[in-house]
Amino acid sequence: MVLLLLLILKGANSMGYQWKWDKVPRYIYRVVDGELIWGPLMKGLFVTLDIAFWAGLIAMGIGLIAALLRLSGSVVGSAISWCYVELIRNTPILVQMLIFYFIIAAVLGIPRQWAGILCLAFYEGAFTAEIIRGGIVAVRKGQREAAQSLGFSGFSMYRDIILPQAVPIMLPPLGGIIVNLVKHSSIVSVIAVFDLTTQARTVVSDTFMAFEIWLTTAAMYLVVTVTLSLGVAWLERRYRTT
Amino acid sequence: MSARNSTTRLRWTWIDAVLIAVLALFFGFLFWRADSVFSYNWNWASVLPFIYRFDEAAGKWVPNLLMEGLLTTIRLALWGILFAGVIGIVMGLARTSKRLFFRLIGTFYVMLIRNVPPLVFVFVFVFFIASQIMPTLAMGERVQALSPQAQQWITVFFGSPKLIDNFLLGLICLSVFSGAYVTEIVRAGIESVPRSQIEAGDSLGFSKRDVMRFVVLPQAMRNTLPPMAGQLIQLIKDSSLVSLVSIQELTFMAQDVQVSTQRVFEVFVLVAAIYFVICFTLSQLFSYLERRHARANR
Repeated sequence: MVLLLLLILKGANSMGYQWKWDKVPRYIYRVVDGELIWGPLMKGLFVTLDIAFWAGLIAMGIGLIAALLRLSGSVVGSAISWCYVELIRNTPILVQMLIFYFIIAAVLGIPRQWAGILCLAFYEGAFTAEIIRGGIVAVRKGQREAAQSLGFSGFSMYRDIILPQAVPIMLPPLGGIIVNLVKHSSIVSVIAVFDLTTQARTVVSDTFMAFEIWLTTAAMYLVVTVTLSLGVAWLERRYRTT
Repeated sequence: MSARNSTTRLRWTWIDAVLIAVLALFFGFLFWRADSVFSYNWNWASVLPFIYRFDEAAGKWVPNLLMEGLLTTIRLALWGILFAGVIGIVMGLARTSKRLFFRLIGTFYVMLIRNVPPLVFVFVFVFFIASQIMPTLAMGERVQALSPQAQQWITVFFGSPKLIDNFLLGLICLSVFSGAYVTEIVRAGIESVPRSQIEAGDSLGFSKRDVMRFVVLPQAMRNTLPPMAGQLIQLIKDSSLVSLVSIQELTFMAQDVQVSTQRVFEVFVLVAAIYFVICFTLSQLFSYLERRHARANR
């Protein structure tokens, strides 16, 4: 790895590459007349976080519905849920995004950013469904039987007995889903939504400062994901069952 | 509403009727919109020639764009898992090493790659590698200089000699990317070997290195096989990302064909179906093998 880094640096220097780190900050922010104006990279970051947030919300909803369909005894519901999860898990996200944008969004008339958000939501929703289902199934069967013998039924059984035990099991993987949302949100750059990755490509093609801009972009993603990971780890510690 | 476990039977209830009605309405609406708003002419036959075409000159069926893309994807996946495995084992040993220096390298590598979006990693890595490493290696020229026999073999394993630079670029990128995930798999495998095994090895007089070689690693490797299988499937899906840096694999060819034939729906659905069949078959195969292995070991 060090050799690789040295080779890269040597190559960059032999190319006669002048590192222009001083030019990078203006793409992050500018202070004009005492007013803070966000540069393209920061605007891209805001769009990325926006997409990840909405996709996460919708993904949780889709995951919950799919998990409940699978857990119910209905034939068609199980089949729909199983087909949905297997379809999403066995195809690449890029192909899903292309299909979603060029076919589904075109036929249903969905605007570009929402096509990206929905595709991301459906993608993460499949994994969320499996996590929720796994969490609920992990609660010991005895709990369910005890609850039924005590007279709990249906909704209140779930609310008072099953979910309080299932949720701490689900939290670590769900935290991983949140981090994945931010990472996979970069795929919307293929349908030209102006997220951080697209903005980085634009700035690179405008200024040719590829090294600096890409390293800065990677660093920005790292800051967001590491912060989220730390937050998830803290949540895990708080709700640890053992 | 009871949780579904292996003893719950699936029953047809009113929920099923409602769901079937909803599905019918939804697909009906979709097709109506596709017809009236889109006026799409379905033409599956025009896409099939892009899989195999009949070469008049050679007088036989020759693989066309999509098939070549598929073969490239398979080659990327198989070689990729091999190299990722090597990188993963080395880095996995580094992460579980006693020396802080190696641990830091391993941890840094894994954290870097796992926290950066795959797309950003592909762009950055390919940019760096394509401009620096590839000219140094100059594999393209070296391969062209080999005999026709050798070139035949290279074509089978690596793809056409003209595209070998391209292929290697995608391969290195995917290997380094997957290597981070394999590192975690290997680390988990090594840590899953019970301490008692290491203590038993020590008490029998094995040196530290021999304990690793004869006691820990064989057991660790057995534990890593199921997740590695999952990583192979993940690699097949991740290989589609390198299409964005013009590596000529299946997704790239799909976009190529789509642009030239304008058959958006047929091409993309076909390609998605190909990926689905490959990944689904592999995952069913692996879970069958796992079940057989677990039964045999009881």
